[in-house]
Amino acid sequence: MEIVGQLQKQFVDFSTSLNHEGFLDEQYLQLQKLQDESNPDFVCEVVSLFFDDSEKLLNNLATALQQQVVDFKQVDAHVHQFKGSSSSIGAQRVKNMCVAFRNFCEEKNLDGCLRCLQQLKHEYFLVKNKLETLFRLERQIVEAGGTVPVIG
Amino acid sequence: MGLTLCKTNMAAASPDSTRTFQRDVEEDESQFGSTLCLSSSYYSVFVVRLAIMIMLAILVGLLTLLTWHITRVYTTRSLKTLAYGLRHELLQRPLLRMWNILNSTVEVATTQVKLSESVIRRYNKPAASQADQVELYQVMKELTWALFASRKALNSITLSYRNGFVQAFHRNHRSNNTYYIYSDLTNYSIATSYSVNLLSSHQGWNDQSIHTNMSAIWYREPLDPTTGDKTAKAAPIPPDELINIAGISQVPDGTASWHIAVSKYTDSPLLSAALPVWDASHKSIVAVVGVTTALYSVGQLMKELVEFHSGHIYLTSQEGWLLATSTNTPLLMNSSSGPKLMMAVDSQESVIRSGAEYLSRAYGNKLPPSQDVHIESARLVNRLYYIDSFFLNLKRLPMVGVIMIPRQYIMGKVDEKAFKTLMILISASVCILLVGWFCIFILTNGVSKEMKLRAALISHLDARRRAEASNNYKSQFLANMSHELRTPMAAVIGLLDILMSDDCLNNEQQAMITQIRKCSNALLRLLNNILDLSKVESGKLILEETEFELGRELEGLTDMFSVQRINHNIETVLDLSDDMPKVVLGDSGRVLQIFANLISNSIKFTTSGYIILRGWCETVETESKKRESYLHPKESWCAQKLKRKREAAQGKICSKKDNKMMLWFEVDDTGCGIDPDKWESVFESFEQADPSTTRLHGGTGLGLCIVRTLVNKMNGEIKVVKKSGPGTLMQLYLLLNTPAETTKQHYQLNFKDHNLTVLLALNGRMTRLIMTKWLREKGVQTHEASEWNELTLNLQDFFTNDNSQMAESETHESNLGSSIFIIIIDVGLLDLSTELWKQQLNFLEEYCADRASFAWILNHDTSKVVKAELRKRGHLLMVNKPLYKAKLVQIIEAVIKRDRNLHLQTPVADHEFHEIDSLQSPSASSDESEKLDNDSCNAIRGSEYFSRGPLSQSTLSSSCADYIHVNLEDDVSILSKERSSTKSYNEDKEGGAASSCKAVNEQKRPLEGLCILLAEDTIVLQRVATIMLEKMGARIVVVGDGIQAVDALKNKSQSNEHSDAKALPYDLILMDCQMPKMDGYEATKEIRRWECGSGWHIPIVALTAHAMSSDEAKCLEVGMDAYLTKPIHCKLMVSTILSLTKGT
Repeated sequence: MEIVGQLQKQFVDFSTSLNHEGFLDEQYLQLQKLQDESNPDFVCEVVSLFFDDSEKLLNNLATALQQQVVDFKQVDAHVHQFKGSSSSIGAQRVKNMCVAFRNFCEEKNLDGCLRCLQQLKHEYFLVKNKLETLFRLERQIVEAGGTVPVIG
Repeated sequence: MGLTLCKTNMAAASPDSTRTFQRDVEEDESQFGSTLCLSSSYYSVFVVRLAIMIMLAILVGLLTLLTWHITRVYTTRSLKTLAYGLRHELLQRPLLRMWNILNSTVEVATTQVKLSESVIRRYNKPAASQADQVELYQVMKELTWALFASRKALNSITLSYRNGFVQAFHRNHRSNNTYYIYSDLTNYSIATSYSVNLLSSHQGWNDQSIHTNMSAIWYREPLDPTTGDKTAKAAPIPPDELINIAGISQVPDGTASWHIAVSKYTDSPLLSAALPVWDASHKSIVAVVGVTTALYSVGQLMKELVEFHSGHIYLTSQEGWLLATSTNTPLLMNSSSGPKLMMAVDSQESVIRSGAEYLSRAYGNKLPPSQDVHIESARLVNRLYYIDSFFLNLKRLPMVGVIMIPRQYIMGKVDEKAFKTLMILISASVCILLVGWFCIFILTNGVSKEMKLRAALISHLDARRRAEASNNYKSQFLANMSHELRTPMAAVIGLLDILMSDDCLNNEQQAMITQIRKCSNALLRLLNNILDLSKVESGKLILEETEFELGRELEGLTDMFSVQRINHNIETVLDLSDDMPKVVLGDSGRVLQIFANLISNSIKFTTSGYIILRGWCETVETESKKRESYLHPKESWCAQKLKRKREAAQGKICSKKDNKMMLWFEVDDTGCGIDPDKWESVFESFEQADPSTTRLHGGTGLGLCIVRTLVNKMNGEIKVVKKSGPGTLMQLYLLLNTPAETTKQHYQLNFKDHNLTVLLALNGRMTRLIMTKWLREKGVQTHEASEWNELTLNLQDFFTNDNSQMAESETHESNLGSSIFIIIIDVGLLDLSTELWKQQLNFLEEYCADRASFAWILNHDTSKVVKAELRKRGHLLMVNKPLYKAKLVQIIEAVIKRDRNLHLQTPVADHEFHEIDSLQSPSASSDESEKLDNDSCNAIRGSEYFSRGPLSQSTLSSSCADYIHVNLEDDVSILSKERSSTKSYNEDKEGGAASSCKAVNEQKRPLEGLCILLAEDTIVLQRVATIMLEKMGARIVVVGDGIQAVDALKNKSQSNEHSDAKALPYDLILMDCQMPKMDGYEATKEIRRWECGSGWHIPIVALTAHAMSSDEAKCLEVGMDAYLTKPIHCKLMVSTILSLTKGT
C-alpha cells in the first residue's frame, strides 16, 4: 500500500509538473475525463494514435523540406494537421511550436522552417517521453493494485 | 513685340518645366527616399530657374539687337546717301566757281592776246616811228582798259612788251581803287626790239631783260574805276612793287601757263595766267599778256556755302598750298621775303589744320590723284566730321578741294535719335528682363514651394503609412492575442466561481475571493474593451444580423444597472416611445454594449439625480412633428442638422427598403457633465474628459471610444449635446433593419375600456413624471405622490370623494366593469428604519384593501422581512426597481386579469409573483458555457417577474428562439450576465416544472439519438471527438476528408430515399476546415449545392484551429451554421449542437 501511495504521489507530482511546465494543458485533462469503464484505455489509445500520426507527419515534413523546390503550402498543411492533433491531446508546447512553424511557412522562410522542424521534433520527443513515463507510472499503479488518481 | 514674344516664350516654357518637375518628382517619389527627393528636387528647381533666366536674357538681348539694327541700318544708309549728295553738292559749287574764274581769266587773257596780236600786227612796220609806237601803246591801253573794265573780277591785266615796256591795269578790291601802271617809255628803244632773229632764241628775251630794267621807272596813275579817266597824276613807283607783271619767263613754251601768285596788297592768293602774244608770222613773241584774278571770291562763296552748315571747305594746290578757305583766316604767311602761300597743315584755322593733318596722316602727302576721298566720322578737334576731297585737274594747276562738315550737322538728329532709341531699347530690355526674371522667380517659387509641400506630404504620407502599419500590427497582435489572453482569465474566473460556491471557506477567505473575483472581472472587462477596440480597428469586427427584441434587452439592461449602481440616489429611467419596433435586426450584443457603456459611464459620474435612457424611432416618413413631441425643446440644432444630413444621404435607401429604421436614443444624466471642449475628444481612445477623474472613478477611457466605433459601424452617429441643466446629454442614432413583417409594439389592452385609475406613489421624480405622462396619454387617470404624507393625503382625498360615487355605482358594479384602482407604491416610501412601516401598511389596507390593488416596487436589496410581510398580507404584485413601461403594463394587465378572475370566481392564488432573479447581481459568471453547469441547479431558482402568467406567456415564448442562440464568439461582454440569467430561465422553461435532477440527467446525455457525421482528417482528433460525442449519447460516423463527407451524405440519402423518409441521414455534420483532397469550405459548398432545391438544410458546424472572427465569417459565408475552435471544448460543442438540432 505504501508503494501505491508513493506511486500515486509520484504520478500526481509528475502530471502536475507536466501541466505546470506547459507540456500538457486542460485538453489532456478532458481526455482523461472522457476515459471511463466503457473506454478504459482511451487516453492511451489516443496518445498512441497521436504518436503514430506525429511520426508520420514529421517524416513527411522532413521530406517536404528537403525537396529542391519546397512546397510551402504542403508543409503548411502538414503543420496544420500536426497542430490540430497536438492540440487535441493537449500537447501545448508542440502546438505552440506548430504555430511558430506556420508563421515561417507563411513567410516562406526555409531556414526558419528547418529550425522549427528540429525544435518540433525535440518537443515532440520530449512530450512523448513524458507521456510514456506517465503511462508507465499509471501501469505501475494499476499493477500495484491502486487506482489512478484523477488530476484536475 | 519683344514683350509678347518673351511672354509667350515664358508661357511655353513654364508649363513644360513644371511638367517635367512633376514627372521628376513622381519618379523621385517612387524611387528614392523622401530626403533624397527633397534635395534633388530643390537643386533641379534651382538649375531650371537659372536656365530659364539665362534663356530669357539671351532672347531679350537678341531682340534688342535686332530691333536696333533694323531701325539703324536703313536710316543710316539713306542718310548717308543723302549726306553724300549734300557734300558733293556743297563742294561742287565752289569748284564750279573756281572753274568759272579760271575760265573767265583765260577768256580775258585770250581776248587780250587776240586783240593785242591784231593791234600789234597793224602797227608792226619795220620802220616804225616813235609816234607809231606811242600810238600803239595808246591803242593797247584803251583796248586793255575796255577789257579790264568789263571784267570786274579781274585783279589786273598786264602787258609786257618785248622791249620791256609794261602796261598794266590794277584794281584794288579793298580800297576800290583802280590804277594804271606803265613804265617809262623813254627807257626803251623801240627800234631794236623786235627782230625775228632775236626772237628765234629765247635766251635773249627773258626775265633778265626786265630785271635789267630795274632801273626803269614805273608810274602809277589812279583811274576812275568806271570811266577809266585819269583822276590824279601819275606817281612813280618801283617796279614790281604793286603787281607782278607776267613776263616772258612765264610762257616758256609759248603756251598759256597758270600759277598762283601772291601779292603784297591782297591777302588772298591770286591766280594769274600768262599768255604770249605772237607776231604775225607767228614766229616770235611780241608781248606777254598776264591776267590776275583774286581767289578771294571763291573764298567768299565758300564762306557763304558753308556758313549755313558750319562746315569748312578749303582748296589747295596739289602740293598742299592753301588757295581758298571758307574762313576768314589769312591764307598768306608773312615772311621776310614777303607774303607767301601757306600749307593747309599750317592753317590757323584749327579745323582745317587738323583736317589736313588727318588727311596727310591717312594718305601721306600724296593725295591719290583723280581719286576722291570720302572719310566719315573723322575726329577733328573733338568733333566728328565728314571729310570729302575732290580732285580738280586743271592744266598746270591741279587743285584739291576738301570739304569738312561736322557729322552733327547731318547725322546729329539721327545720332541723337539713335542714341535715344538705343537707350530706350536697352532700358526696355532690361526692364523686361527684370520683370521676366521676377515672374520666373515667382513662378518657380510657387513650383518649388509646391514641391516642398509635396515632399513634405510624401514624407507625411510615408509616416502615416508606417504609423498605420504599426497600428495595424498592434491591432492584429491584440486580436491574435485574444484567445491567449482570455482563456486564462476565463479559467481564473471559473475557478473562482467554483471556489466561491465552496462552503468550507471562512468569511475572510470568502471576502478575499470575492475581491479577487471583482478584480478579475474588471480585468476581463478591460481586456474585452481593448480587444473590441482592436477588433474594430483592424476591421475584424463583424456585426451579426439577428433578430432581437430591443425593448426587452434595454429593459434587462436597466434592471441590471439599477441593481449594480451603488448609489441609491440615482434614478435609472427607461423611456422608450411606443412606436419603437419590437423586433429589430442587428447585433444585440453590440447594441447593448453601446448602452451598457454609456449608462455605466453616466453612473460613474453621477452622484445624485437620474439617468434617463430615452428612445424613439424615426422612419423617414415620421417627421419632425413626432420628434418634437418626444424631444425636449432644447434639442439642439446639431441633432436637426444631423438628421437632415442623414435624410439626404439615406433617403433613397429608406424609400427602397422600407424596413430600415432610424432609432434615436439619448442618455441623459445629471452628473458632473463634460466640458464642451471635450465633446469631441471624449470619444477618442484613452481620452478622458478630466484626467484627474481616473483616480476617482477609474476606467481607461476606452468605453466611449468603443461606443463610437460601434455606433459608426451601425451607420449611426453619436454626439454630446448641449443640455440646459447640469449633466451630460449624449445623443445617438442607429440605423437598424427591422424584419419585414414588423409589427410595432402595441399593448394588447386598451386601458381606456377598463376605467383605470392609477396612483403612482414613487419617490423617483423622473420615473413618476414619465409614467404619468405616458399613462395619461393612454387614457388612464393618474395621481401622483412622492412621499408618504402626500400619499395619505391623496388617498384620503380620493376615497372620501369617491365614497359617495362608489355608493351610487354600487348597483352597476356587477354588470359593468367598475373602475379599477391601482396603487403603485415604492417600498422606499415606507419608513423601514423603524417599525413604523407595518402601521403604514395597516393604514393602507384599512383604507383601500378591497377597493384598490397594490403593486409594490421593491429595491433589489429590500429585506426579506418586508417581502415576506407583504406576501403574507396578500400583496403579491411586486416588481423590482426600476419601473418602466413594460412592467407597468404587466402590473396593470395582472390587475385587470385578477379583477376579471375575481368576477369569474377563480382563485388568484395560482399566481406566483416573484421578485427578480437575484442572479443579476454583479457576481454573475462570465463564461456562458461554464455557467450552464451552475445553471442546471440554478434553473429552479425563481424566474423573472410574472413569468408564468398566462398573459405574458405568449410574448415570452416568442422571444425564446432568440435566447437559445449561442454566443459563438466567446467574447464576453457585460451582457453575458444578463444573457445567462435569461438562459437559466429558458432552461427552466424547457424543463417546465421538471425537477432539477431531470435537468441534470438531460445534461448528461444531451445528444441522445442524434446521428452526427464527423469529417476530420487527423486521427487523433477523430478519436477524441468521437469519444466525446459518443459519451453524450450521439451516434458518430467518421470520414477522413471532404469528398468522403459529401459522398457519405449523398449515398446515405439515396438509400434513404428508397425507403421512405425525407429526413436527412445525419442530424448534423462536424466539418474540419482544413482537410486533404477537399477542404471543409469546399465540401460545405458542395453540400449546400446538393441540398439546393430539396428543401433540406443539414446543420454544418465548422471545426477550425483558427480563432479569428474573420474565419468565422468565412465559415458562415460558405453556408456553415456554426463554428467551433480546436481544441474541442466539450460543453461549447454540446450547446452548439443542441441549438442547431433543436429546431429540426
